Amino acid sequence: MLDVSRVQKELVEIKRDEKLSGVSIEISEGDLTRMRGTIGGPHGTPYEGGVFIVDIQLPSAYPFEPPKMQFVTKVWHPNISSQNGAICLDILKDQWSPALTLKTALLSLQALLSTPEPDDPQDAVVAQQYLRDYATFMGTARYWTESFAKRGALGIKEKLVKLVEMGFSEDTARVALENCGGDENAALEKLCGG
Amino acid sequence: MNVTENVTEPGGEQDRPRDDEIQAFHNRIRAADADKLELVGDKEPLSVLEEEYKAGSPVFLAKLLILKQSYGAIRRARGDGNCFFRSFMFSYLEHLLVIQDEAEVARMEKAIEICKKTLIDLGQAEFTFEDYLAIFVEQLHGVIQGKETSTSLETLVERCRDQYVSNCVVMFFRFVTSGEIRRRSEFFEPFIQGMSNMSVVQFCRSCVEPMGEESDHVHIIALSDALGVPVRVVYLDQSGDMNDKPVTVNKHDFIPEGMNTAVDPDVILLYRPGHYDILYRRGNSGNVKHTSLEESNVEHF
Repeated sequence: MLDVSRVQKELVEIKRDEKLSGVSIEISEGDLTRMRGTIGGPHGTPYEGGVFIVDIQLPSAYPFEPPKMQFVTKVWHPNISSQNGAICLDILKDQWSPALTLKTALLSLQALLSTPEPDDPQDAVVAQQYLRDYATFMGTARYWTESFAKRGALGIKEKLVKLVEMGFSEDTARVALENCGGDENAALEKLCGG
Repeated sequence: MNVTENVTEPGGEQDRPRDDEIQAFHNRIRAADADKLELVGDKEPLSVLEEEYKAGSPVFLAKLLILKQSYGAIRRARGDGNCFFRSFMFSYLEHLLVIQDEAEVARMEKAIEICKKTLIDLGQAEFTFEDYLAIFVEQLHGVIQGKETSTSLETLVERCRDQYVSNCVVMFFRFVTSGEIRRRSEFFEPFIQGMSNMSVVQFCRSCVEPMGEESDHVHIIALSDALGVPVRVVYLDQSGDMNDKPVTVNKHDFIPEGMNTAVDPDVILLYRPGHYDILYRRGNSGNVKHTSLEESNVEHF
């Protein structure tokens, strides 16, 4: 049986300072076992400015068992699957404790965005890129944030169309946009300069 | 393979299993173990261990003989990483039930209040531990007889075998242990540094607070100090050589700060590498379950 009163207390706690903490939770009507968490991308990282949605499922033995968390928003990060959003984080496995809460778990995910651990990867391809070609990693991560984690993320497609209309090939325009983290003007400068 | 050219086909077969898959696997292993033994077993004569080590090391057998001079029975705890806490819980409550020490119940309630304050001062949200605290206090009150809420020894055994009750109390003890270690971090730091490269806070997060993390000296000192309960650990291990000096059985008494060091602990645990069980002095009252006819020499326990 899910410890309903504990979950309700947690929701009150997270609501209280969601503006300060940068993490929040919404519940689906009448079902305390399924929620959506949101995490603000940390400053000074390629995820800055993005809002990342996390699917949260509570097992019936919660809080003795960890919540199941998975990114819904696509993220380019060594410890998060670029395909399905699965997360590699010890506190969501054997290091979970009832001393932790949904809020501390989401804050840990936010911390994970700031400090990737490529030696213990979830996504081997992203981790390799992080270790061997950091600049490209940063570009791709920023581009994914721009494309998937920002409101009106469709903008990236329009930017691409615009650049193509200006006469650049779609491939070079996309590469330029990726390298500039989706910044259209910077990409144009790069295309003209190069 | 040049991975940088492969960014459009990320992940693929190289993806690790998902966290919940790993967790489920972990749980299945634990569950398979769990079927073998109750969280706390029946009281058994110490001779059951002789049977266990019959084909084993002569050092163990020699030590068992010495052990039998002082101790008569054992009660096993399930080996799921929580055995120290489960053994402590049962041993402490059973002793209180037998001797009906109301003053100790009152003292313990005060100690719990201080532990609660410590945790709140450390920034632990009260809702994360208040239910576990309440369940321990409920068990504590139950052992004093003559009230509606009183529990018999039989009921105590039942409660301590109930997964939910037992896990809640284990978790409360883990909170108390973590709180005490962090409150006195300067004292505990050298011990922790000697065992691992972790900071005090990291150690508590990784080795104290998660269920199933095994206990070491640091945990025992912290829990014993915080709750003010002396604990004796008797070590049944390979140390000592038969051909050298006579074999001795090592024991260590964990006496809470400020308590007379000559005190004789009532919580007595038997430690075998990686595991704790409950040990009973000879002549201790309580029922020993006869497991076979050969062990009918239980009268002199």
